[in-house]
Amino acid sequence: MKTVLARFFVEIYDGRSVLSQLVSQQLILRYRRTALGYLWSLINPLMMMTVMAVVFSTLFKADLKTFAVFLFAGMIPWNFFSSLTSQSCFSFINNEGLIKQIYLPKAIFPLSIAIALLIDSGLSFLALFVIILSIGGSLSWAVLFIPIAYVLLFFFALGIGLIMSVLTVFFRDLQYVISIAMQGMFFLTPILYKPESLTGKVEWLIKLNPVVPFIELFRTPLFLNTVPSLDIILQATMYSVLSMAIGLNFFLRQEKKIVFRL
Amino acid sequence: MSIYIENLSVKFRIYHDSSPSLKDYASNLFKRSKQSRYSDFLAVNDVSFDINSGDRVGIIGHNGAGKSTLLKALCSIYSPSEGKIIVNGRIAPLLEIGAGFHPEFTGRENIYLNGAILGFSKGEIGAIEAEVIAFAELEEFIDTPVKYYSTGMYMRLAFSLATAMEPDILVLDEIFAGGDAAFMKKARARMHDLIDKSNIMIMVSHDHELVRSLCNRLIWLDHGKLVADGPPDKVLNRYLDIN
Repeated sequence: MKTVLARFFVEIYDGRSVLSQLVSQQLILRYRRTALGYLWSLINPLMMMTVMAVVFSTLFKADLKTFAVFLFAGMIPWNFFSSLTSQSCFSFINNEGLIKQIYLPKAIFPLSIAIALLIDSGLSFLALFVIILSIGGSLSWAVLFIPIAYVLLFFFALGIGLIMSVLTVFFRDLQYVISIAMQGMFFLTPILYKPESLTGKVEWLIKLNPVVPFIELFRTPLFLNTVPSLDIILQATMYSVLSMAIGLNFFLRQEKKIVFRL
Repeated sequence: MSIYIENLSVKFRIYHDSSPSLKDYASNLFKRSKQSRYSDFLAVNDVSFDINSGDRVGIIGHNGAGKSTLLKALCSIYSPSEGKIIVNGRIAPLLEIGAGFHPEFTGRENIYLNGAILGFSKGEIGAIEAEVIAFAELEEFIDTPVKYYSTGMYMRLAFSLATAMEPDILVLDEIFAGGDAAFMKKARARMHDLIDKSNIMIMVSHDHELVRSLCNRLIWLDHGKLVADGPPDKVLNRYLDIN
């Protein structure tokens, strides 16, 4: 297992130029020949969040500015997680032609999706930063915690992405299951509301939901202006380590079968 | 440079209905159905041979004899189900026309994309870029997305790019060359040049005359099994006698 793992990292390192090509392919290609180009990556989620902020702050009778910061801070990690999980499903299927023609380390396909989304997310975070300041919000030094939050979130989501990318090749239904599951999970994750607001019969769902600590990792520094509690950080770290361990293990066992099942 | 193949088998699983859905998988977990939904198929069946420096190997056989599967196993696209392959030297397949191309990318961007896929660094690609463009005669259109290319332009670019790299071990699956007569002539010369420079060449072709002229050794596969391995004339005569 140790040598398999070592070979895995060496191969990814050797494939770094393909990896960077795949990442830029994803970032550049979508908006080629559009007037605003890459800006759409930022406008799209920000518009969506703005609409949601207006609607739900009215519904919850909350102050728009405060609620907007609260919501944005939860949406950024959620969008990253949910896009990565659903897009990973297509990482091998969309590259079938290539995979059957030449040997490439398989992991670079899901990895390229994760890196492209991380760049997307990082930039929309910066845009959020500007918005918070322009509507008169305050930012504290706690914001410096955000890069750590990204690292933990990245590996948590990547582990799940690795599993999804392989599983979808075997069971094509999964892409549809995932899109429904993500919609459901959005409402079962405290993004629109505070974690303690969902009580009663479904309370245990919040307790079991592994995404919850990651939302907190982003929301505490941005909304409450403090560093998240050690408890939350440990919980998130545990989930990302677990996710990567399971994800990598599964991936390394199955990767050779992918080409036969495409 | 050398290749050792020992008792190589490549197994495919053929599903009789469709790819198994999640539902089927779940229901099969509970009732172990007696009649399996798939059968195994050995595309390459217990094949052993060695290839050494200077060998120009042609692989012949019917459609579905396992020729392409064998080549793909050599390039580690398919991993062996049984047996082993040891390759010493840098091996590179000649990609099928446009396999690594992205239609939205310009010709130049595709050179970099494809070069990266073939395992070349940015610097190495930069060094061959001008030559590839010149050979493909695409100076004017190199910064246009390839989806606007004519079929001929597309083929010329793909061919020039695929043949610009010089691997130690060259793997060819049915040589091709598109374009007009003038380009075909130029392409053939380049192909021969590439073969001459390679240390080992392995090709699959149904063109017996081509195989006879380019190879110094033939391997005949039938239903995944090695039938004959020897000098081209001898193997080809036996092959043609039977068919």
